[in-house]
Amino acid sequence: MRDDAVHERKVGPLTFRLDLSQPLYEQILEQMRAAIARGELPLGEKIPSVREMAQALRVNPNTVSHAYQELERDGLTETRRGQGTFVTAEPARVDQFRTAIAEQAVNEFVDRMQALGFGWNDIDRLLDERKAKGGA
Amino acid sequence: MDRQVHHGPAGWSQGDGAQVTAGRPPLSAGMSARTENEPANRPPAVRCEGLTKQYGSKRALDGLTLEVPQGRVVGVLGPNGAGKSTLFRVLAGLVQPDAGRVEVAGQLPGWRTNRQIAYLPDRARWYREHTVRDAFRYAEQFLLGFQPEQALELAAWMQLDLDLRAGDMSRGQEARLMLILCIARRVPVILLDEPFAGIDAVSRARITEGLVARIGGGETTVLVSTHELAEVEALFDHAVFLNAGRVLMQGPADELRRRGGSMQEIMQQLYV
Repeated sequence: MRDDAVHERKVGPLTFRLDLSQPLYEQILEQMRAAIARGELPLGEKIPSVREMAQALRVNPNTVSHAYQELERDGLTETRRGQGTFVTAEPARVDQFRTAIAEQAVNEFVDRMQALGFGWNDIDRLLDERKAKGGA
Repeated sequence: MDRQVHHGPAGWSQGDGAQVTAGRPPLSAGMSARTENEPANRPPAVRCEGLTKQYGSKRALDGLTLEVPQGRVVGVLGPNGAGKSTLFRVLAGLVQPDAGRVEVAGQLPGWRTNRQIAYLPDRARWYREHTVRDAFRYAEQFLLGFQPEQALELAAWMQLDLDLRAGDMSRGQEARLMLILCIARRVPVILLDEPFAGIDAVSRARITEGLVARIGGGETTVLVSTHELAEVEALFDHAVFLNAGRVLMQGPADELRRRGGSMQEIMQQLYV
């Protein structure tokens, strides 16, 4: 990856980092999901139209549209006819989604540790050490 | 609309365009011109099979086979002499191939496809005495499908002064005008040959913005040849790499990105 392949673009309160050497659809989808999961896009908030988003990101509207369809399938957004697309108003939806992503991350982590031969005690110890270092 | 008539006769293979030169199988493996959402019953926007064109001793097209799905923005990429401009001229009906078959929006290119195709030639110029406004009036009369309101919107969006005469324009301003005259037409296929060549960074950015405003929604297929990839490659949802008059590699842009990186990086890998 080269630095000149990474473009930073601001869209309202959001900042996107798009790496042209990776599929754009996935990057837009992941960054939208993260913005909703972290609450940067609040519940019930209107999100930019496909065209506005494409213009701000300077990417193909088809790519944005594809990512928006997936967000809707996630249950994170809903389209109201004639009004546009909104972040879901139900906190449970977002919580469910965050939990699912967190579980996936934990599973990947545990699989990886086990593949390296670490047991639960080792994992606990490593996590405690990591906690002691501080940060989030 | 008898579009179905042209679809899928036995003579059309899916093309060997997805193949790649020896030594790079990982980039091309499993690549196809279509993606999962492709409606099967729409004819491709562009379909070429075995296109050959010889200029003297130089073979500009050498058995080029290509199929471009509808509604895409397609980067047509490759070094000078790869055949990009000749391909565009054949698609625009301005050059007759020596051999091979070609269809644009389901028809043979020619005077009838003027209604289907907007073509921006390499280094296109406009009448010196015309202001932007004059050019739009002219276009309304003579260019099929020209949408004056869309042209005015694009001019505002791309910051092109309506009272500016073509003769007083910088190359970048004239390039913006030429682009608008081309993309403000409601046509199924738009061909842009080097729309960024030799123009300033500001105009390149404005042209990119104008294109984003116009594309998407699946109605218009845009083929863009360019060497200025940094500006525009995020707009591609499909890319075709040419070399020596043939297709070296093609596929959906995100698939190419996953396997080979940015279009610029793939160019460097392919044409070293």
